[in-house]
Amino acid sequence: MKKEIWFGLIIMALVVVSAFLLLPPFAEMKNGHLGLLMLALVVVAIMLGFPTAFTLMGMGMIFAWIAYRSQNPSLAVDQTLDLMVQRTFSVMSNDVLISIPLFVFMGYLIERANLIEKLFKSMHLATARVPGSLAVATIITCAIFATATGIVGAVVTLMGLLALPAMLRAGYSVQLSAGAITAGGCLGILIPPSVMLIVYGATAGVSVVKLYAGAFFPGIMLASLYILYVVIIAKLKPHLAPPMSAEDRIVPLPAVTQEISNTFSDKVLPGLLGALKGKRNAATPTAEILKQLGIALLPLIAVSLLSGVIFFKITQPLPSEVAEGVVAMGGAIEDTPQEAESSNLSGLQEPQAMGDLKSPPGSSDAPQALGGAVEAAPVVAAVAPTTASAEETKPAEVANEGEREPAPTGFWIAMGVVAFAMFVFYAYFSFARLEIFKMLLGSFFPLAIMILAVLGTIVFGLATPTEAAAIGSMGGLLLAAAYRRLNFQVMKESVFLTAKTSAMVCWLFVGSSIFSAAFALLGGQELINTWVLSLNMTPVQFMILAQVVIFLLGWPLEWTEIIVIFMPIFIPLLPHFGIDPLFFGLLVALNLQTAFLSPPVAMAAFYLKGVSPPQVSLNQIFAGMMPFMAIQVFAIVLLYMFPAIGLWLPEVLYK
Amino acid sequence: MQNILLTIDKISTWVGQLFAWLIFSLTLMITWEVFSRYVLNNPHPWAFDVMSMMYGTLFMMAGAYTLSKNGHVRGDVLYGFFPPRLQAGLDLLLYLVFFIPGVVAMAWAGYHYAGDSWAIREYSNITADGPPVYPFKTVIPIAGGLLLLQGLVEIVRCVLCLQTGQWPSRIEDVEEVDVEKLKEMVNVKDSDIAKLDQYVVAGQDVQK
Repeated sequence: MKKEIWFGLIIMALVVVSAFLLLPPFAEMKNGHLGLLMLALVVVAIMLGFPTAFTLMGMGMIFAWIAYRSQNPSLAVDQTLDLMVQRTFSVMSNDVLISIPLFVFMGYLIERANLIEKLFKSMHLATARVPGSLAVATIITCAIFATATGIVGAVVTLMGLLALPAMLRAGYSVQLSAGAITAGGCLGILIPPSVMLIVYGATAGVSVVKLYAGAFFPGIMLASLYILYVVIIAKLKPHLAPPMSAEDRIVPLPAVTQEISNTFSDKVLPGLLGALKGKRNAATPTAEILKQLGIALLPLIAVSLLSGVIFFKITQPLPSEVAEGVVAMGGAIEDTPQEAESSNLSGLQEPQAMGDLKSPPGSSDAPQALGGAVEAAPVVAAVAPTTASAEETKPAEVANEGEREPAPTGFWIAMGVVAFAMFVFYAYFSFARLEIFKMLLGSFFPLAIMILAVLGTIVFGLATPTEAAAIGSMGGLLLAAAYRRLNFQVMKESVFLTAKTSAMVCWLFVGSSIFSAAFALLGGQELINTWVLSLNMTPVQFMILAQVVIFLLGWPLEWTEIIVIFMPIFIPLLPHFGIDPLFFGLLVALNLQTAFLSPPVAMAAFYLKGVSPPQVSLNQIFAGMMPFMAIQVFAIVLLYMFPAIGLWLPEVLYK
Repeated sequence: MQNILLTIDKISTWVGQLFAWLIFSLTLMITWEVFSRYVLNNPHPWAFDVMSMMYGTLFMMAGAYTLSKNGHVRGDVLYGFFPPRLQAGLDLLLYLVFFIPGVVAMAWAGYHYAGDSWAIREYSNITADGPPVYPFKTVIPIAGGLLLLQGLVEIVRCVLCLQTGQWPSRIEDVEEVDVEKLKEMVNVKDSDIAKLDQYVVAGQDVQK
């Protein structure tokens, strides 16, 4: 215990002493050097553990006064006071930061809707055939839940309570289980809508909309890399992640469908249709069968609606840029049902279709899309009872064409692929899968639709982030109400927690904006600029240096502190090297993921330790996190090598 | 002594929680505004100003509340390892060096800033016919004053801790990660967790 304290204090003393040694003697110090001294002191002061917001505020005030005094001693006090109050007021009326409390509120409400248990169980069953299925389900659940809530601590704790016991019982190694939970839980700060991107946007002056569009695919990529890693490990070393036994995979069927699958067919469509017409179904009420049929046809209806919307978009007389974006998105979606037969990731991708479908009407700002959906509806209604595959929608759509532009051949080819995929999907759609689908419908789809609706309206420019965040909060309220978790107690807790979290982030912003003003006044920024430029680095070297510095800072500091204190120093350097601040932000966001997983201060590990059985040691958890940290570094390299992963979507949308 | 501290805690908490409800009205207001603009085609030019006022007031007034619950982010790499007396000593020093001057300056400057605004009856110029700004600017000195009061309480807490060697108690409040509540939410008991040890041990044997 004592040793650690001395170790820490000695490091701090070393920072201060080296700052004094490297800088010129006190008498010759210029203001710029004072700026650098201030930076060294603030790192030490933060390490001392005083609330960072006030450290920054106090230190900023003192150094701002010194800077003003060197110019005009008589006005120094007044100028300092003015600076402070103006900086404070600019944070209070900041139109970017305003989304923070709203997104935080949404997160707390969704967390309390208690969807996570259902979500994990349904993901687990849906991924049953994948190697390492439990860990894969854990990562997917974490990614979705963390994205919707953005609260790392709560997600890791909840998954530690739900997924860790399940994985340990199934014979998974402690390391792999712990790694999957901690790494997955941290995805929420990267995948939009995340608070971190808002804070970065506000600090660096980058549009939050672009950041959201840009961070979407890197986030998905990181989650996919985690899953890929788990699958490979499970294949290569089955003793670390044994496959599920056959009896675990059996999904209990309700009496009605059990009956039908025994008498008619275990496939949903023939079974239900047979039961509807046949005379042997005296025991089962027709309404019940129709209900099941309706649920079973939901994917078909969704796909038909979506293709209808896309059709109307691309055959529009005046093709617009937005339409191209939709087509591009549509292209990605249309491939998904193909995977439905392998039943592994279909759950992850299918809702994309539904989300995209619902977002335009939900925002009420897309009369065209709305019209398309409405017009497509009768087509679906006509098709649904005959239960034909999506192919039959074609003639109906052609009939509707009129003077519209002819659809490109690619569209019809894609439609053919989709129709075939739907056919295959229904051919394999058994009653057990119907049960899984129903479970997903109750847990996965509401969350996914909500996230995609919020994101979609922001990214497609239908609403500002603030508006989308407010509607997301409303959605959170409705979700909590729909799951019968909304009462005054839950409401009160969410409101109070929101106030505390927003105060924490925004007061930090008040402090840091005073601090960075003082830093700029002293000319510390110029000194750093000239120094970095004098090193004659290539952009690549600079980028690596910046990422290494941020990676190292992630060890003692939290992401909020790194962004608000150090980003203002890096951002002015970017134009010299021709680096896009948007791209830099995406790299930083990926990089800060490692801050949550780097021992010995990784928050995620301590949250997990708090709810894991006593025999699980912190070292085991740290060891489990290491491979995932390596994947994060790999993801940063990937993004750097192929910037299009992040920049493609913003470029397509905001040319 | 403890009673006075807790009373001031309660004031900060009460004010913070009162203004916390602004998040609810903010949600309702923006939702309504979006509906009104896109569906009823009736946007309100003052909505933007009112939104930012609600947000600004919300977080400023919650500052003292957050401080009273020890909720402002700290760099706790080392702090967590320090014994309470060292923690209290460092906190006391930094409260006097950074916190008090900073917050006093902010409240003082805010007082004049708001006073100027009242004197000219300032209206927002972001949109035409903007709402009055002077009540919003008044939030700065009030929030600063509350924060200062709460800061003095924390200083006394540091002194008490230096004397006794342990931190005086605080009033309980809702926490972001309340493990017991989360356990209850997903129906997991401590005994269930303890039972898992057998799998951990068994797993270790297999790997050896």
